[in-house]
Amino acid sequence: MNPSRHILQDFDAALESLRADVLMMASLTDRNLQNAMACLLDGNVELCAVAVADEEEIDELEKKIDNDGVEILLRFQPVASDLRRVISTMKVSANLERIADQAVMVAERSRKLTTLPVLDEVHALGPMFMEATNLFRDSVQAFADENATLARSLKARDREIDQINHDVADNFVERMGHYPSRITDYVNLIFIARHLERVGDHAKNIGEEAVYAAEAEDIRYREAEFPAA
Amino acid sequence: MIEDSVITETRMPSSEQTLEKPESAILEKAEPVFEVKDVSLWYGDKQAIKNVTIDLPAKAVTAIIGPSGCGKSTFIRCLNRMHELVPRTRMTGQVLFRGQDLYGAGIDPAVIRRRVGMIFQKSNPFPTMSIADNVIVGLKLNGVRSRRVLNERLEKSLRMAALWDEVKNDLDKPGISLSGGQQQRLCIARAIAVEPEVVLMDEPASALDPIATMKIEELIRQLSSDYTIVIVTHNMQQASRVSDLTAFFYMGQLIEFDETRKLFTNPKEKQTEDYITGRFG
Repeated sequence: MNPSRHILQDFDAALESLRADVLMMASLTDRNLQNAMACLLDGNVELCAVAVADEEEIDELEKKIDNDGVEILLRFQPVASDLRRVISTMKVSANLERIADQAVMVAERSRKLTTLPVLDEVHALGPMFMEATNLFRDSVQAFADENATLARSLKARDREIDQINHDVADNFVERMGHYPSRITDYVNLIFIARHLERVGDHAKNIGEEAVYAAEAEDIRYREAEFPAA
Repeated sequence: MIEDSVITETRMPSSEQTLEKPESAILEKAEPVFEVKDVSLWYGDKQAIKNVTIDLPAKAVTAIIGPSGCGKSTFIRCLNRMHELVPRTRMTGQVLFRGQDLYGAGIDPAVIRRRVGMIFQKSNPFPTMSIADNVIVGLKLNGVRSRRVLNERLEKSLRMAALWDEVKNDLDKPGISLSGGQQQRLCIARAIAVEPEVVLMDEPASALDPIATMKIEELIRQLSSDYTIVIVTHNMQQASRVSDLTAFFYMGQLIEFDETRKLFTNPKEKQTEDYITGRFG
């Protein structure tokens, strides 16, 4: 019994290719997030345009992964861990596409902010951006390594980002009262925080898929798990 | 005397049995039809089944999967004593059928085989008989003489086997005039005409084309509301389509037994995972 190689070598090659595509997609999505962040925090309008333009490539990869995934299901009719890997890879791909969407929306709202004197509060979103990015990177790592322990830790971190979002929104609403002329900017900032919060949600979803792929356990809609002290 | 060549020993199960009983709503809900306890079986010196313990639930489809030579066909033959037709067979352990020892003193194998019918890989209609006679031959052998009863059972069995509409105008034609798929459904009609409690199926669709196979699979699902079905299949997709529970055999041992959905998405045993994902051999 050979534990690692499929009798059909084509299957191994097809699954490896599918996973390579999704990791490529994750890499492009990461770049998109970084461009959106540079756009927001550094006012780099050029990178705003890059973030928007790059999304098309990510959309194409999502379609390719869907097509290839369906073909694998059709040709090989995988079961057990093979089936879970194909299904979870396709679902991760959908979440990556949504994260890229959020990055584009951040970039577009950031571009609007750069046309006016920049609010100091923009930089208040820097730590949230880092949290969301780190959560996203760890979710991809957990999926790539099928590291269920890391994946299970992501829900709690997503909750923290949710809390930051609430705090940031409360703060910006309060500031609107003080500076009614900049209401539009504050609304944009509130939306950007909301987009980052959604990045956290999708990263958490990727973590859930990593657990499903690794351990066949569906942990969606469950309370966050905290590691034992 | 074939029967004389069979030595059947009955002893209590060994305490070494380690296979976990699956957590299954199906098993909890249904009474076991068969309670197989520590069964081992030898053909001459060769051991084909090793210490198998398993409960098979009523009115459910249980699939038996595993590589060639793993003992799956032998196992289902233990459930209606068909293995006794093979010379130099020796069996130990216990098989309870509805709580009664299948191998107990005074149990007539012919009666058991009427209550536990069997469908084989190759359809085997009686070549000299008409379609109708193929179906009702078992009833006639059991002494049913009433033409009305025979006609009712003929139609009912053919309807249950999803064959009535295709043959109702040709009942007097030879059974072997039908296509392969129709012949197999005719054999199923013949098996269920005597109203068995269990239908054992040994690769019932492996010689059929995809459409005929789908008809057999659909039929298995329909019959499962009235019958207990145990099916041996090499086709894992077929096992996942038609069965409620699946047992994986390897080298005569029962490696894993669980609900089909669980076994095909998250098998507990590595040997099962390697086999069903194609990483075997």
